[in-house]
Amino acid sequence: METKNNLKIGVYVCNCGTNIAKIVDAVAVAEYAQTLPNVVLAKTYKYMCSNPGQEMIAQDIKENELDRVVVAACSPNMHERTFRAALRMAGLNQYLLEMANIREQCSWVHKDRREATKKAMALVHAAVLRVEKHEALESMAVDMSPNVLVIGGGIAGMTAALELADAGYFVHLVEKNNQLGGNIARIDLTAPYFYSARDLLTERISRTKSHKRIKVHLDSKVTDLSGFVGNFKANIYNLNGVPENEKEVEVQIGNVAICTGYQEFDASRITHFGYGKMPNVITSFELEKMLRAGKVETKEGKIPKYIAIIHCVGSRNKEFHTYCSRVCCMTALKYAHEIKSANPECYVSDVYIDMHAFGKGHEDFYRQSSQAKTLFLMYDKEHRPVIHKAGSKDDCEMIIEVHERLSGEHIEIPADMVVLMVGMEARDDAHEVAHLTNISQDKDGWFIESHPKLEPVATTTDGIFIAGTCVAPKDIPDTVAQARAAAARILARISRGKIEVDAVYSEVNVDLCSGCRFCNDLCPYNAIEFKEEEGLSHVISVLCKACGVCVASCPSSAIKGRHFTDHQVLAQIDGLFNNVDYELDEPVK
Amino acid sequence: MAIRVNPSFIDDLSRYGAEDVQLCYQCGDCSTICSHADDIYKFPRKSMRQLQMGLEQRIETTLEPWLCYYCGQCSEQCPREADPGESMMSLRRWLISKYDFTGIARQFFKSKTSEILAVILIALVTGIFLMFYGISGGSIHIYDGEGAFLPSQFIHKFDLTIGSIMAIFLLINSIRMWYFTMIKGVLIPVPWWLYLKELYELPLHFFTQKRYAECESNGKQHLHMPWLIHLGLMLGYVTMLLLVLVFVEPLQAGPEIRWSVHIFAYMATIGLLSGTIYFIRNRFKKNYTQYKKSHSTDWVFVVLLFFIVLTGIFQHVFHRTGLYEWANITYVIHLMAVVPWLLRMPFSKWAHLAYRPLAMYFAAIQKAAYERQELLVDSVSITIK
Repeated sequence: METKNNLKIGVYVCNCGTNIAKIVDAVAVAEYAQTLPNVVLAKTYKYMCSNPGQEMIAQDIKENELDRVVVAACSPNMHERTFRAALRMAGLNQYLLEMANIREQCSWVHKDRREATKKAMALVHAAVLRVEKHEALESMAVDMSPNVLVIGGGIAGMTAALELADAGYFVHLVEKNNQLGGNIARIDLTAPYFYSARDLLTERISRTKSHKRIKVHLDSKVTDLSGFVGNFKANIYNLNGVPENEKEVEVQIGNVAICTGYQEFDASRITHFGYGKMPNVITSFELEKMLRAGKVETKEGKIPKYIAIIHCVGSRNKEFHTYCSRVCCMTALKYAHEIKSANPECYVSDVYIDMHAFGKGHEDFYRQSSQAKTLFLMYDKEHRPVIHKAGSKDDCEMIIEVHERLSGEHIEIPADMVVLMVGMEARDDAHEVAHLTNISQDKDGWFIESHPKLEPVATTTDGIFIAGTCVAPKDIPDTVAQARAAAARILARISRGKIEVDAVYSEVNVDLCSGCRFCNDLCPYNAIEFKEEEGLSHVISVLCKACGVCVASCPSSAIKGRHFTDHQVLAQIDGLFNNVDYELDEPVK
Repeated sequence: MAIRVNPSFIDDLSRYGAEDVQLCYQCGDCSTICSHADDIYKFPRKSMRQLQMGLEQRIETTLEPWLCYYCGQCSEQCPREADPGESMMSLRRWLISKYDFTGIARQFFKSKTSEILAVILIALVTGIFLMFYGISGGSIHIYDGEGAFLPSQFIHKFDLTIGSIMAIFLLINSIRMWYFTMIKGVLIPVPWWLYLKELYELPLHFFTQKRYAECESNGKQHLHMPWLIHLGLMLGYVTMLLLVLVFVEPLQAGPEIRWSVHIFAYMATIGLLSGTIYFIRNRFKKNYTQYKKSHSTDWVFVVLLFFIVLTGIFQHVFHRTGLYEWANITYVIHLMAVVPWLLRMPFSKWAHLAYRPLAMYFAAIQKAAYERQELLVDSVSITIK
């Protein structure tokens, strides 16, 4: 493609305060840009991303009839959207913009002013040559199915489902077990206000079951998910109890909320706690069971005089999980209260690392537990307590040996029952869900949000949302808040009826495609489908993230990455290799 | 060697007055504000921790509770309202009962009924004995000299007997204190000459209570009031005790006033009277932190002492004004209070008269011993067991 000679390009060099201008001679870069072909104006400004900066660009476009814009500033990750908006504001197609990253990839990483300025000039040159090749692209809109798939029938899943169904949309709720409720169904009271977990759940469960817009699939799992945001197809497979021909149903949905929750840490992995070997070393969930039954007693049927609660079992340790499971501290304090109120003669020792009482009412709860004469004993993260059987002369069943940090003493704690506060961990089958829905997991197996601060319930896959303890350990209020947030995000999309998709995606040239299907397997977003009847591969543009893998892999060069065409990239490379003559005004040291 | 935690200790100690110990989360504010805490004696923080954990073996060997004079600043400062000052007080009570080999102190501290019953019982026995002795050998109309209801020679012997019993118990308990704190509690060798070198500490602290004064020096109002009053009370008490044990005959003789003895008695009475009134008033008004929580034994202590002082004064006045019958009856009542008071001494709060200066003395020896070991250079490596 020939360079158009009648283009009018505007170049804007940002100082970014001193971030850029301190190392890069922005004025020299602008002056240099001015000399390049087709550049009609080049300006510098303190903060180009500010409102006056954007308005300046928009005004220049209108007044000088610019048809291409280069902004030399930060990474496009940071402000490409901002400057695209400026172009739209001036009535110019937003894809006729190119950014030269002279901050992250230039001023921040270089110390030599002369070299940095030369590099900035080269980057601007490359951007100018590239932007000449840019084409005006149009974004697409696709229909949005109003149905939603919620995976997981715990407090998060039910809350999200109810929120969506109450708003008038149909929800498929898939639960692997034969009942709703999830992990909360296994606990007695909640901290710090002693609300009954059963009461919290009963209302949710009965409403979910009876809601006319919720179809609850118990004993079921999602075996396949295909399609893209707004137009997913999910296969729901019933694990037992139904005739073969009814086992699998296919549903049409627009969005998915994943609320698959957590599993408890397997305490037997820590051998010196003796879990599974010593009968009265139990996990927090086993104690919950006793509390729900209203009877805390040892396996021998005796009422324990000394109960020791060990915190951070499986959490905050390099060997297992380095993260904090967040709910165990308050749960442990809750146990101290419950045990004390059931049996005032019982002495509770809380063997902890640090007391994490960060939430609403938690610090007060900690204080109340102190008032209830709970003995707090602090141990070292690196030196876990060791539990062994007590001698015949002792008035207790077991002895916990630990180095106590606040007193500096090596101590023995008497115990008739030891409660291990097992932490939360990502479910063993979380990777199946991740694979199915094409979302990522972090090193601990938790699902990854698309932004940890600003997009806590969205994922990098459009239309797939995550909420609750499948994302990270959290307590009930946070889980419920996330479930409602995910529902709100989905509702916002459904209410628009359509969804806009970025115009940057790959396209298959049907004349060149040989149907080799190389690209089909390589696509990390499952965005390429093979059309059997035509024998050709086809990119589902709404799923495509424009990573370019298919473009590079195609042996017939049949795939074009829109906005990243060969012409554009080659022109950019040409610009980079232009030798720039530039000397500093002041001598180089 | 691992040390056993005793979670039930806290319940035991609540009988001695420590109620809010478990609220403490070991921030250390109390030790920061305390003018007596130092690198070696890290109280109240360390004592609070030992108390929380029920490390009896550690507590029985510590001197820390005796180094605290309870100015109350730590309790005012405490962000958790764990009342470290009162906890130190309760540890002193616990230590008194720990040093006491008879178990009587423990009984008195844990049950106010038993203490009051014991006081009443001894008072009654004393009263009956004295009435019987007086009626059989003398006349109610004669106070001193020939045919006196309670002759001073008899009272002298009587006082010495009671005093000796008390002294024996106190001596044994003090030896036990020495054993716990200096033998069990110190793991480094303590050369015998350090006991001589630091001996001056004993009378110094006994007669000046200078640490109490230091305690108050950074307080807010009434700077030296508690110290001065307390010192007056203590000196008055010791003077009176000496007079009663050694000079009871000239003291009781009359009707003229023998200034050579009586001047001391009057001054002692002023100290005792102002002291007891001051402390009773404070315990009623609860105007300072240290008087907010009064253990039953504290009340028995001040009220009984006040009663003794009062009956002593009345008896003296009746004698000098010629109301001999009244003087004799008051004398019996006076002694009915004095005898249980004296017999109670080694088993009660009173014993701090001996334990506190001893603790200062022992602490000085310990410090000298540590210095000698050059352990003070690296204070981190010091662990006082």
